[in-house]
Amino acid sequence: MCGRKAAPAKRPGKDVEEDLRMYRGREGQWAFLLHRLSGLAILAYLLLHVFSIGSFIFGERFYMTIHERYDLWPFRVGLVFVSAGVVYHAFNGLRIIIMDFTGFGVAYQRQMWYGVLLLSVAAFVYAAWTLYPRIMGGY
Amino acid sequence: MIRARTFTDARAQSHTNAELNWWIFMRISGLILMFLILGHIYMTFIQVSESDATFDAVVNKLANPAWKFYDWLILSLSLLHGANGARYSIEDYVRSRPNRAWVKGVFYTVVALVFAFGTVGLFSI
Repeated sequence: MCGRKAAPAKRPGKDVEEDLRMYRGREGQWAFLLHRLSGLAILAYLLLHVFSIGSFIFGERFYMTIHERYDLWPFRVGLVFVSAGVVYHAFNGLRIIIMDFTGFGVAYQRQMWYGVLLLSVAAFVYAAWTLYPRIMGGY
Repeated sequence: MIRARTFTDARAQSHTNAELNWWIFMRISGLILMFLILGHIYMTFIQVSESDATFDAVVNKLANPAWKFYDWLILSLSLLHGANGARYSIEDYVRSRPNRAWVKGVFYTVVALVFAFGTVGLFSI
């Protein structure tokens, strides 16, 4: 029901370009794109997180040297985006599972996506509120 | 390349069993990770303030085998889930075969090293 349609002959260059956008549509396309972007961002965060927390095996000095780097403002602001990204990815993933395994899922995918967006914005605001002192004042 | 939107689609489209199994794995691990990670964020980020996550706090928490297991479950499930998700992206966007092989090779190596490092860290304490 989805995926590539057997399209009439296309120009070769155009072919690839169109294939790169998988869901051509409205909300579904943005939901898909955001899911990928948030997933890749969370993965990057996870790799860093495992390394920096795991570095305690080298002793306290090494651990703290890394963690003091995280006092740079891009990292502090990044925490807000990671929180919102995780909430988006988690609840949009739930939306995907509902679409995959229930009959009504696909019919309500758009409404569910707006719900997911609402939750993500709420998470963003809440994380910004919680982290406000740290964003302003550092550790 | 996974474009399926229902289980039936996935079964029809996947040309190998492994691909279908990864498709199922993403759903199941995602569901489990939802609880594990939202719980992890709640316990280490909301319940406890970030500035309390000191060296001693981490060492004390990981002395408990239950937290070791909890964290190791997150580590392995999320790395598998993340690596497979990144594989989907690589296969979709890196179109040249030799480049794809390189990108995948380097990426899998990094993931494997981080997994080994995290596991050693968790169980060496």
